[in-house]
Amino acid sequence: MSIASVPNTRWSNNNLKDLLLRNTMVFILLIIFVFFTIKNSEFATLGNFRAVLIAAAPFALIALGQTLVILTGGIDLSVGSIIAVSAMSAAYVAVNKTENIWIAASVGILVGTVAGLINGLIIAILDVPPFVTTLGMLAAASGFAYFIGNGAPINGLPEEWERIANTKFFGFQTPVLVMFLGFVILAIVMKRTSFGLQIYATGGNRSAAEIAGVNTRKILISVYVLSGFLAGLSGVILSSRVISGPPNLGSGYELGAIAAVVIGGASLSGGRGTIWGTFLGLLLIQTLNNGLDILIVPAYWQKVISGVLIVSAVTIDAILMRRSR
Amino acid sequence: MVGFEKQEREVKMLRKKSLAALVAVTTAMGLGVAGIAPAQAAPIKIGVTVYDMSSFITQGKEGMVAFAKKNNIKLLWNSAGGDVSTQASQMEQMIRAKVKAIIIVPVQADSLEPQLKAAKAAKIPVIAVNTTLKSSKLLTSGVLPDDVAAGAQEMTQMATHLGGKGNIVILQGPLGSSPELDRTKGIESVLAKNPGIKVLAKDTANWGRAEAANKVANWLTSFKGQIDGIVAENDDMGLGAVQALKEAKLKIPVVGIDGIQDGLAAVKSGDFIGSSLQHGRVELAAGLAVALKVAKGEKVKKNYTYIMPAITPANVSSFEANVVTNTAAFLKRLPELIAKNLKSGNIANED
Repeated sequence: MSIASVPNTRWSNNNLKDLLLRNTMVFILLIIFVFFTIKNSEFATLGNFRAVLIAAAPFALIALGQTLVILTGGIDLSVGSIIAVSAMSAAYVAVNKTENIWIAASVGILVGTVAGLINGLIIAILDVPPFVTTLGMLAAASGFAYFIGNGAPINGLPEEWERIANTKFFGFQTPVLVMFLGFVILAIVMKRTSFGLQIYATGGNRSAAEIAGVNTRKILISVYVLSGFLAGLSGVILSSRVISGPPNLGSGYELGAIAAVVIGGASLSGGRGTIWGTFLGLLLIQTLNNGLDILIVPAYWQKVISGVLIVSAVTIDAILMRRSR
Repeated sequence: MVGFEKQEREVKMLRKKSLAALVAVTTAMGLGVAGIAPAQAAPIKIGVTVYDMSSFITQGKEGMVAFAKKNNIKLLWNSAGGDVSTQASQMEQMIRAKVKAIIIVPVQADSLEPQLKAAKAAKIPVIAVNTTLKSSKLLTSGVLPDDVAAGAQEMTQMATHLGGKGNIVILQGPLGSSPELDRTKGIESVLAKNPGIKVLAKDTANWGRAEAANKVANWLTSFKGQIDGIVAENDDMGLGAVQALKEAKLKIPVVGIDGIQDGLAAVKSGDFIGSSLQHGRVELAAGLAVALKVAKGEKVKKNYTYIMPAITPANVSSFEANVVTNTAAFLKRLPELIAKNLKSGNIANED
């Protein structure tokens, strides 16, 4: 961002502009927040925040993976299906193979990671465009999810299975804590490590990064592996929360995750975006879903409102960015 | 688009395979005609095409196979894998194989008209099971669940539980889908007779547990302490509601429909006040029984309605035995049960 280069002729005005520019999404979020609080006094309660967070957690994990992928200039359309195939594998193992829920959970996460690895290898080694590769994985992984359950949801999971997602620490369910942990770790990785820097470099200009000595293939493979791993984790958590393995679990989630990343200010052409931005984007979408439910807005209107708000939020951001140049 | 090309190749291979199978079948038939007349009556060939191998259909196949074994039927079983055109070619194949009757569990209601006409021209009767087809005039008979009655039944269970007074929320199926429309219609018909019951909110959770859990969690916030009952149009959404209630440490009566394995367990544990059973083994075997009657030239009704039995805490154990824990015993007595049901007209009966 070239904010520093803007000449400071009128101090107060510029300061305000600067503040607005850097925090558009925070302000939009605040406005939405105030609106819902006025409309319904139950909105701003601890219990409701918990509901927002638990609903956000599975999206948050795949949005984190998606942020890294988008930063390299790629896209991962397959995460929704990877959620399904991971959840189904874990549920299958938990029902048929072992009493140990942790083994079953590990299998689910492993399946997600392997799917991500396949994406990464095809994209990085064979140079197939990420859109096509992950579109193929979207179809194939979904097919496998149905295959595992013989075309049907897996029922009758052991009661133990619920423990993964429904155990509480410090008053929060595990998925919420995993989400926060994910955000903190990745925010640090992206800001403070050379791995983070290399991801930005790969997305900013791949050949320049290569010349500078970045092994971009390795970087590409690792972001898709991470995306697959997080989708696997998300799948296991989701299936534990509802104690079942539905083969259509997570279908369409990829769009919510991509929306969160883009609202968070990331550029789809790569190189620009932050973990903090994704966090805000995610919070915006989830607060909206929750608030509109609370105001009993019908599902079809919710879709319209969400769509309009997503585009306007990004538009405002884009206009302010252009003005700053 | 490597994936799609591959898919196409697979379809082509499948076509080749089915052609080969067809040749085999026709040759076999030719031999049959040329050979000596068999001492025992030849099995009656009945073709089946189902939309996909869902858990409902998997159960249904078990029921059909059990009934076929007892009644000297040879089943030609096909699954369309959710694809309309696959189902159409399976129909054509069965017509060419000269089966005595065809059972369809449709992928899509407004499809298969040309194939139905071809079947009619070949004088092969067609029976629709579970979902009807738009060109229902071309069908000989149908075995269909009554979703309106199921909606009315679950709403009655809830109204009775609440003593005709209280506030409820309703979780609907995907808006505009036919089971959603019918179940909602049934619910509303009972609500009209119970002015003491107020609907605080109704919205779709698309049959899903996770979506229902989030929706109910949000509703619990908006109507803090006001919700007296949750009516879910299927068991999965009801189970999602139960999850949200557990997370909020609340106990509110929930009712569902379908009687899936986890739904039956929920009635047993008291998480559900009840549900309604849609039992694939019984429904599809009844379809086969009707097809057999037609094939033998007996008269059948134009429509057989499967009215889902109510699942209550009192009877849940016996249903659980039939559906989950002791299916072998149930399948053993199923052929007799189906024959009895067809006579009585109550085709959903399991006693």
